[in-house]
Amino acid sequence: MRLVLESFSPLVEMASIDEAYLDMTGTARLHGPPLAAAHAVHAAIARETQLNCSIGIGTSRLIAKISSDQAKPHGILQVWPGAEAAFLAPLPVRKIPGVGAKTEQRLRDLGVTRVCDLTQLGPRRLERELGAWGIALAGKALGQDAGGWFDAGVGQRDAAKSISHEHTFTNDTADPAVLEATLGRLSQMVGRRLREQGVAGRTIQLKLRNSAFETITRAHTLARPTNLDPPIWDAIRDLFRANWRAGTAVRLLGVQVSGFETEAPQNELFDRAPVERWRDATTAADKLRDRFGDGVVGLGGALGANFREKTHEAMPLPKEKTEPNQ
Amino acid sequence: MEFTIGKTDLVRELSLTQGVVEKKTTIPILSNLLIEARDGRVTITATDLELGIRCSVPAKIKKEGAGTVPARKLLDYVRLLPDADLTVKFLDNHWASITCGRSRTRIAGMSRESFPELPSMPATIASMPVKELSGMISRTMFAISMEESRFTLNGALLLLRNELVTMVATDGHRLAFVESSKAGGEPISFRALVPRKAMGEILKLAGESAPDARVELTGDDNHLFFQFGERLLITRKLNGNFPDYERVLPKDNSNIVKLAKNEVRSAIERVAQFADERSRAIRVQFAPGEVRIFSSSVETGESEESVPTEYAGPQLEIGFNAQYLLDFLRAIHQDEVEFSLKDEKSAGELQPARMDGATDQYRYVVMPMRI
Repeated sequence: MRLVLESFSPLVEMASIDEAYLDMTGTARLHGPPLAAAHAVHAAIARETQLNCSIGIGTSRLIAKISSDQAKPHGILQVWPGAEAAFLAPLPVRKIPGVGAKTEQRLRDLGVTRVCDLTQLGPRRLERELGAWGIALAGKALGQDAGGWFDAGVGQRDAAKSISHEHTFTNDTADPAVLEATLGRLSQMVGRRLREQGVAGRTIQLKLRNSAFETITRAHTLARPTNLDPPIWDAIRDLFRANWRAGTAVRLLGVQVSGFETEAPQNELFDRAPVERWRDATTAADKLRDRFGDGVVGLGGALGANFREKTHEAMPLPKEKTEPNQ
Repeated sequence: MEFTIGKTDLVRELSLTQGVVEKKTTIPILSNLLIEARDGRVTITATDLELGIRCSVPAKIKKEGAGTVPARKLLDYVRLLPDADLTVKFLDNHWASITCGRSRTRIAGMSRESFPELPSMPATIASMPVKELSGMISRTMFAISMEESRFTLNGALLLLRNELVTMVATDGHRLAFVESSKAGGEPISFRALVPRKAMGEILKLAGESAPDARVELTGDDNHLFFQFGERLLITRKLNGNFPDYERVLPKDNSNIVKLAKNEVRSAIERVAQFADERSRAIRVQFAPGEVRIFSSSVETGESEESVPTEYAGPQLEIGFNAQYLLDFLRAIHQDEVEFSLKDEKSAGELQPARMDGATDQYRYVVMPMRI
């Protein structure tokens, strides 16, 4: 689905698995006017995924969202620029994303049932009644994107805040050699990703899930940021040894590095300091991996844990959580 | 116990002991000072178990004895008293009553029995002018590592070899080395790591010493002792191996650039305003006739300065942490500074331009940054 949408616009925001926003600004020459482009998207999705969908077109995500609801099932609805308030006015307030049962009740107490009632109350009154959420609501009543993650642009991606790798064992294991080798491999994979992204982190976190599905996370903060495998592994191994009860079968292990800081490009005085030697060795190892593949060279302790796993780059949380959107 | 003492005398000694008292301690007695009255003197002792200080001052003793009172509260209160004699008397319940003119106060104290015993000082092994020791500290202390994980770098190396006293401090990126030949005493060889906090306290004690005063020093297996007249500072030694500093003192830095200290210092201070806030990196271009200093940061902008020099060697462009250079330029009182350089990757050395009759040697080694 995402791939289909990305062929129409580079700015795609997947709001959930079956819901997405596209910023089509500047694509008129490529895809024609909005309605024509929407028909093309409709057809492409039906062709590629055999799925039906409905599409809303508007000057804000809010309008797009509500108009696509109104277009269900399998329709397309465009709200012309300038017509947003008029389009929203007769709708029940519940149609506004973020207005749930509680807010609806609250608004009903104020005599508000339809969006036009909201507009009449005005932003000041709404702020008095509902705080910051009231101001956002007043904006929404006029068809604007306001509050919560509507504040960020469509498809706007902030830099990753953490990089982690996890591994779930096919069969739970309590073999310390296997567990530590796996952590070595995961540390190495995280280190590689950090170096690829040109970042270094100070907080090293271990994730440990046992057969009973109990999960713990334990973190350690280093004195200076690193993106080298050995210091990450050292920290992870210490955390593991301090927190794993010998004999407990483990289902999943995870290694995460966060707390990114740029590494000061300062040379060490005691020149063959271990960190410099590791940096040289790691640079050489990365070159080998680029050429011959990830498995070609690695930490000794990580041997015997060769698997491929997906990367997880955590996105920053939305700034406000006041709006349980959609 | 009961004694009478001048307010100014008491405030001075109380202030000197405050730095040693732990602000947040889990052992209540360590927030207290031990006050002892004996043989015409009052002795005040403080310790945080790492560091101990004992100051003694003449007083009119009416009844000998000892007790403990909270250090902070005592100083805060006594400071506010009028400039007159005050009388301190310990009561049976360990409280101390303080009378001064029309003021009367009773401070809740604790029994002296639980106050830790300080180690006793062995025979002195060396003595040197207080000014010399404090000068060595203020020229090395800034290079001590702030990283707690590198605990052997959380202090300075103190070396005594016959007449020579050497102090070295490093954080792994830069190193300050001072050597002085002002020590007196038996020819002896002595080596210890002095913790940073102790160095700070020595500077305070030196500030209260007479201009020509001498400090006597000695040590036992675990402690160092610095005796400043009637005041004694005791510190635990830092354990561990200090890095081999002699290996990193440059030997073949043949490009010598002499600069007017104030000019280069001001230039770096200004340019550094536009250096990256975390790395503090600046670029220094040493060229025949001038030294140019650059900085640039994505967020704040860029800046450039030029300082004249008689240097005529090859052009070199080296990245440095501006803070490291400024620390040294602010620590010297000489008007000229000498950069000795080899190349862009090797350690650079800074020295105050040598003055005739100088008895000490001050060397500062800084590793470049990758730029």
